[in-house]
Amino acid sequence: MTVVVGWTPDARGHAALVRAIAEAQVHDERLLVVNASSGTAPVDDRFAGVADVSQVRALLDSLGVDGEVRQTVVRDVGDALLDIAEEVDASMLVIGIRHRSPVGKLLMGSTAQRILLDARCPVLAVKA
Amino acid sequence: MDALLTGLSMALTPENLLYAVIGVLLGTAVGVLPGIGPAMTVALLLPVTYNVSPSAALIMFAGIYYGGMYGGSTTSILLNTPGESSSVITALEGNKMAKTGRAAQALATAAIGSFVAGTIGTILLVAVAPTVADWVVVLGAPSYFALMLLALVAVTSVLGSSKLRGFISLALGLAIGLVGTSTGQARLTLDNPLLADGIDIVVVAVAIFAVGEALWVAAHLRRRPLEIIPVGRPWMDRRDWRRSWAPWLRGTAFGFPFGALPAGGAELPTFLSYITERRLAGEHRAEFGKGAIEGVAGPEAANNASAAGTLVPLLAIGLPTTATAAVILAAMQSYGLQPGPQLFEAEPELVWTLLASLFVANTLLLVINLPLAPLWAKLLRIPRPYLYAGILFFAVLGAYSVNFQRFDVLLLCLFGALGFAMRRFGLPVLPLIVGVILGPRLEEQLTQALQLSQGDVSALWSEPVAVIVYVVIAVLLLGPLVLRLVPGRQGPERLEDEVEELEEEVRS
Amino acid sequence: MAAFLGLVGIWTVVDSAGLDPGFSDQVVAPAAFGFVIGSSLVVLAVLLAVATARGDRAEGEAGEDVDLSSSTDWRTLAGLAGVLGATVVLIDWLGWAIVGALLFAGAATVLGNRHWVRNLAIGAVLSVTSWYGFYVGLGIPIPAGVLDGIL
Repeated sequence: MTVVVGWTPDARGHAALVRAIAEAQVHDERLLVVNASSGTAPVDDRFAGVADVSQVRALLDSLGVDGEVRQTVVRDVGDALLDIAEEVDASMLVIGIRHRSPVGKLLMGSTAQRILLDARCPVLAVKA
Repeated sequence: MDALLTGLSMALTPENLLYAVIGVLLGTAVGVLPGIGPAMTVALLLPVTYNVSPSAALIMFAGIYYGGMYGGSTTSILLNTPGESSSVITALEGNKMAKTGRAAQALATAAIGSFVAGTIGTILLVAVAPTVADWVVVLGAPSYFALMLLALVAVTSVLGSSKLRGFISLALGLAIGLVGTSTGQARLTLDNPLLADGIDIVVVAVAIFAVGEALWVAAHLRRRPLEIIPVGRPWMDRRDWRRSWAPWLRGTAFGFPFGALPAGGAELPTFLSYITERRLAGEHRAEFGKGAIEGVAGPEAANNASAAGTLVPLLAIGLPTTATAAVILAAMQSYGLQPGPQLFEAEPELVWTLLASLFVANTLLLVINLPLAPLWAKLLRIPRPYLYAGILFFAVLGAYSVNFQRFDVLLLCLFGALGFAMRRFGLPVLPLIVGVILGPRLEEQLTQALQLSQGDVSALWSEPVAVIVYVVIAVLLLGPLVLRLVPGRQGPERLEDEVEELEEEVRS
Repeated sequence: MAAFLGLVGIWTVVDSAGLDPGFSDQVVAPAAFGFVIGSSLVVLAVLLAVATARGDRAEGEAGEDVDLSSSTDWRTLAGLAGVLGATVVLIDWLGWAIVGALLFAGAATVLGNRHWVRNLAIGAVLSVTSWYGFYVGLGIPIPAGVLDGIL
C-alpha cells in the first residue's frame, strides 16, 4: 500500500509532507510525493524546481522512507491527485490546506474541498 | 537645438509625462510577459488615437517600443525564453550569468546599457532625422515610388528565412490594401458597401498581431512551468562597470546604423556585437558561454540603439522597417498625419515633442526599471487563460470601436484566422502589414509621377536618386543569387547559419 | 495554402478585369495594380506548390510561449472560434458590456481555466469598465445594446 501526498514547495506542502512521512513510517508503507501544476501561468511557484525536488529526495533517503517524487503538468491539479491515488491504490491521501473565506472560495474554488468530497480513500488534511 | 528644447518643455507637461510613464510601464510589462510584444500592444491601443492628442499617443507608443525592448531582456535573463529574435543573444550569456548567481548584474548591465544606447541612439536620431528629411523632401514622386518599393523589397527579402514566403505575405498585404474605392471604382469589395472605404488598418493590425498570435499560442501552449531565477535589486560593482562600458558603446555603434537601414531589425547587430565582444574579451574570453557580462552589455545596447535607429526612416521618410514601427505609422495615418519629410515642416512641434519625449522615456525606463525588476518577474504568475482571453477581449473592443459594426468584428475574426494560418505556414507577418500600409501610398506616388510626365513611363527613372534606389533593389534581390553562384563566397548565408546555430543553443 | 493563394490571386485578377478602364485623366488605371498583385499571387502560389512538392516544409513560428513539439490543439482552437463567432452574432444585439464579459469568460474557460464563476466576474468588471472608460475617458459611446438606458 502507498501513502500519496500532494506536495508544494511552501509551508503548506511541507506540513503535509512531514505528516505523510510519519504516516508512511508508522504503517511501513511506500510514499508517493506528487507535485502537480496546471501549467497555466508561465511561472508557477507551486511547481517545484530541481533543487527543491532533490532536497525532498534527500530527506526521504535520510529517513529511510521508500518513496518517490512525481511531477506532473495537468489540466486540473485536484483530478490529477485523485487519479494518481486511484492508480497506485493509495491507502491514504495527505493534503495541505489553508483558511479560505466563503467569498474567496466562491471565486477561487477549492481544490482541497473537491479532493475531500471525491476521494475514494481516506484523506488527511493538514493545516500549515 | 531650440526646437529640441521647446520639444522638451512640451514633453514635460504633466499630460505628456503621464502618457510617457504609462507607455514605459506598459511596454516593459508586455516585454516581460511571454506572448505579447510591443507591436501587438500598440495595435491594441490604436483606438485611443480617436480621442487622445497625437503627441500624447505617439509619446505613449514610443514609450511602449523602448520599454518592450527592455522588458524582453528581463525574461531572457531570468527565464531563458527569448521571444523576439533580438533578445536571443542576450539570453545566451544573460541566463548563464543568472544561473551562476549574477542575475542582478546581468539585469543591471542590460538596463544601464539600454539607457546609454537609447540615449546615444536618440541623440543620433535627432541629429540625423531632420537632415535626412531635408534631403528627402526635395525628391519627386518617382524617387518616392522607388524608395517605397525599396522598403517593401528590403523588409520582405532581407528578414526572415524564406524569401518566397516573405513575398507571398507581401502580395497578400498589397491585395488587402487594394480593397476599396480609392481609385473611383470598387475593387475587391464583393459589392459590399461596408468595404467601400477599404479595410481599416486598425482591424487588420489588431487581427494579425493580436488575434492571430493569441490563436497560434493557444494551439501550442507551453505547459510545463519554467523555473525562474529569483532576483533582488539589480546592481553592479566597479569591475562590472569597467567591463561593460566599452561593449555598450560598441553595441550602440552596431545597433543604430542597422536600425536606420530600411532592412534594419535588431537581430544582425546584436549578433555582430556578440561576436565582436567575444573576440575582444581578452582575459575574460573563457567566460563566454558561461556567463560573460560583455555578452549581455553589448547585444542589449545594440538592441536598443537599433530601436532608435528604426525611427529615422519612420519619421524622416515615412517607411516602417519593424512591426512596431509599422503599427505606429498606422496610428499616424489615422490622425491624418502624413509621415515623412513633410512632417518636419508641417508639424514641427509634434515631431520635436516626440523626439524629446524619447529622452524622457529612456530616463524613465532606467529610473523605473532598476528598482522594479523583482516586481516585473511577478507578472509571470498571471495565468495564461486570462492573458490570452484579455488579448481577445481588447482586440474585439478595438475592432468594434472603429465603427460599432459587427462587420468589423467579423473581419477581425477572418484576418485573425489568416494571421493564424500565416504563423502555421511560416509566412512572416511584417511584409503583410507593411504591404497594407504602403500599398495604397505606392499607387498614389506612381499616379503622381505618371501624371506629371503625362503617362511617360520613363519618368520613373528620370531622377538620379530613383536610379540608385533601383540598383540597390536589384542588388538586394539578385545579390544572394550571385553570391551563391560564386564558390567560397557565401558570407551572408554563413552568418545566417551561425545565428541559427546560436538560437538553437539557447533554446535547447 | 498554395491553393488559397492561387484563389485570392485569380480573384484579384478577375476583379481587376471587370473594372472600367478608368477615367481619361487617370494615368494609372485602377485595374493595373490589381493585375500586378493578382498575377504575382498566382505565380507565388505556383512557386510555393513547387517548393512544397520538393520537400520544403513550412516552419511554424516560434515564440516565447509556444511549444512547437506539441501537436496543434484543435479542441482549444475550435472553442475559441466558437466564442469569437458567438461574439460576432451577438454583439449588435446584446451590446458590448454583456458580450465582452461573455467573450472574456468564454475564452478563459476554453483556454483551460475552469472557474467559470470567477471568469464571468472578471469579464463583467472588464467589459463594464472598458465601456465606461471609452464613454467617459475617450468620449466614444459604444452602443449599449439591450442595456441601453441602464448603463
